Amino acid sequence: MFKNEEMEINLGPQHPSTHGVLRVKLRLDGETVVSCKPVIGYLHRGVEKICENKTYFQGQVWTDRMDYVASISNNLGWAEGVEKLFGIEVPRRAKYIRTLLTEQNRLASHLLWLATHALDIGAMTVFLYAFREREYLLDLFEAFCGARLTTTAFRIGGLREDLPPGFIKQAQVFQDRFLDCVDEYETLLTENRIWKKRTIGVARLNAEDCIALGVTGPVLRAAGVPYDIRKTFPYAAYAEMDFEIPTRTEADTYARYLVRLAEMRQSHRIIQQCLDGLPEGPVMAKIPKILKSEVNEIYHAIEAPKGELGYYFVGEKGGTMPYRMHVRAPSFVNLQALPKMVEGRLLADVIAAIGTLDVVLGEIDR
Amino acid sequence: MSEPNTPEVPQGEVPVGPYVYDLAASPQRQIVLPKTAPVPSLATYKAEVIAQAAADEAKWQKQLADFEIAKAKAEAEGKDAPKAPVRAVPRKDDNDLKTPWPVEATDPDLLKLQALLGDRVEEVFQQAGELVCQVKKEAILDALRLCRDEVDLRYEMLADASATHYPVGKDFAFSVVYHLTSISRRKRLRLRILIPEGFVPASACEVYPSANWMEREIYDMLGIRFANHPDMTRILCPEDWEGYPLRKEYPTVGWGQRDIDFREDRGGVLNRIAMTTAGQLGINLKQPKAD
Repeated sequence: MFKNEEMEINLGPQHPSTHGVLRVKLRLDGETVVSCKPVIGYLHRGVEKICENKTYFQGQVWTDRMDYVASISNNLGWAEGVEKLFGIEVPRRAKYIRTLLTEQNRLASHLLWLATHALDIGAMTVFLYAFREREYLLDLFEAFCGARLTTTAFRIGGLREDLPPGFIKQAQVFQDRFLDCVDEYETLLTENRIWKKRTIGVARLNAEDCIALGVTGPVLRAAGVPYDIRKTFPYAAYAEMDFEIPTRTEADTYARYLVRLAEMRQSHRIIQQCLDGLPEGPVMAKIPKILKSEVNEIYHAIEAPKGELGYYFVGEKGGTMPYRMHVRAPSFVNLQALPKMVEGRLLADVIAAIGTLDVVLGEIDR
Repeated sequence: MSEPNTPEVPQGEVPVGPYVYDLAASPQRQIVLPKTAPVPSLATYKAEVIAQAAADEAKWQKQLADFEIAKAKAEAEGKDAPKAPVRAVPRKDDNDLKTPWPVEATDPDLLKLQALLGDRVEEVFQQAGELVCQVKKEAILDALRLCRDEVDLRYEMLADASATHYPVGKDFAFSVVYHLTSISRRKRLRLRILIPEGFVPASACEVYPSANWMEREIYDMLGIRFANHPDMTRILCPEDWEGYPLRKEYPTVGWGQRDIDFREDRGGVLNRIAMTTAGQLGINLKQPKAD
């Protein structure tokens, strides 16, 4: 009467909860996941190859298209990596504005994560509340650089333009309101019984596994490891900022949710410090019109909203284009941990696990 | 009497192609292999500096000798003595570039690694504040294990693994780099191996499980296989993909679907449309553009 065979199903690549074109091959025993294999590459555009044939100035445009919900972070990694390759010192005001925009971008990215992750799990109310604030931030980015998602916000050596008039005032309006908004999301979710039932103890990944699998970002911090590149290897103006690294020890989906919300509060603090202490001065360093590299290789990593985003450049003598460019995408490495998180668990938890890893396929496939 | 706004369509013989963009001749299609193999290295840099200094000195000596000859000649002819040469000082650019050159390794980690691995280390140096250790290609797994387990090193995490193709390298074709992070000690280290074409380095999966997908990506993009890897298959490209995209001989414009050539247009529909448009714009396609 009853069949005991395992069933093989494909989740994605056109499933809304996989956040893009992720395909997960699952073997199921009833509702329990026996094995899980993520299949990626559906969005592969060859960004690394393209950037090897573009100059250092042109390549930045492609970084927008990798993690498209946090493109300013990607721009920052590119710009700082190239500056490290050439030994360019950026003016202090430019560093502050970069930090400010990157943190606002982190908020936008976390808000999108909160909205879609809650939607996946079934809490639909948060979606519009989170998008309301994200919309405001995207308007600020539009005021700064004319684009909402594909920003190309920075230039090598600093910024193209200073902040537009009225930007600081509008950013302050957002600052005054935002903490109340985070409280609003918390009233909807933190003590919500259904939310807790769907997240507590789900998709656990302890600290040893996280480090062995290279997982970084909020997932690692929710396992109790206070590794944040903003503190460990400070870049931009983070050395001058006063903020904390929120950590939890439960290492489950609920802990990651709390860590991300706490991170939003810390980002709010950093933005406030940037707005208050914005130094005067130029925003662009003096650099030659054509950058010609020497033989050099650098690895520059920044803390993107998803984790460690690293750029590896190899420069050629007299080369105007990178000899080799490689991106260490946080989602690419984090997604490796998916089988470890879901094997032996229920099918419905796979959706929660994908959501809690906060993967963006544009960055995984590059 | 035609309408005043009707454009004149050229009469008579219809010009033949090629007036469409020739994809085969497009600059993206041409494969330009790099002329040098830029492997950053302290030894190479030192040799370059010495060679450059010697070349400068030789040039200066030649200038002096030329001056002596010219002076003697002028004296013999009873003319004014020529101007004495001035040694050229390197021009200082008015910009904020401080190029990071490789320097001697002073970091205790590199010295420790060198002491532990002995002659299996090929080179250690620092550049742009980053620690670089190049080991022999057979010793990479030992070096990785040492970096993770040694009490004074404790590089717990493999942050990134990547490779570069050097088609004109002398006795190597690829460099494979491993970026290690020590979370507890706040340090980063780069391990590097240089390998020839066809060499199969040991997989790092056994020491750092995170190397799994990174090495699959290297295999997919550059065609380097790793020994003892649990699943050495393509990851980003489809399984039946031909070639390895990040090798330098791989063109940026692909084969296949992009090759829509107007000359294949047997019915001539596209040609006719192009002709009509050109006629309406008043472009004479037969005449080559004047320089």
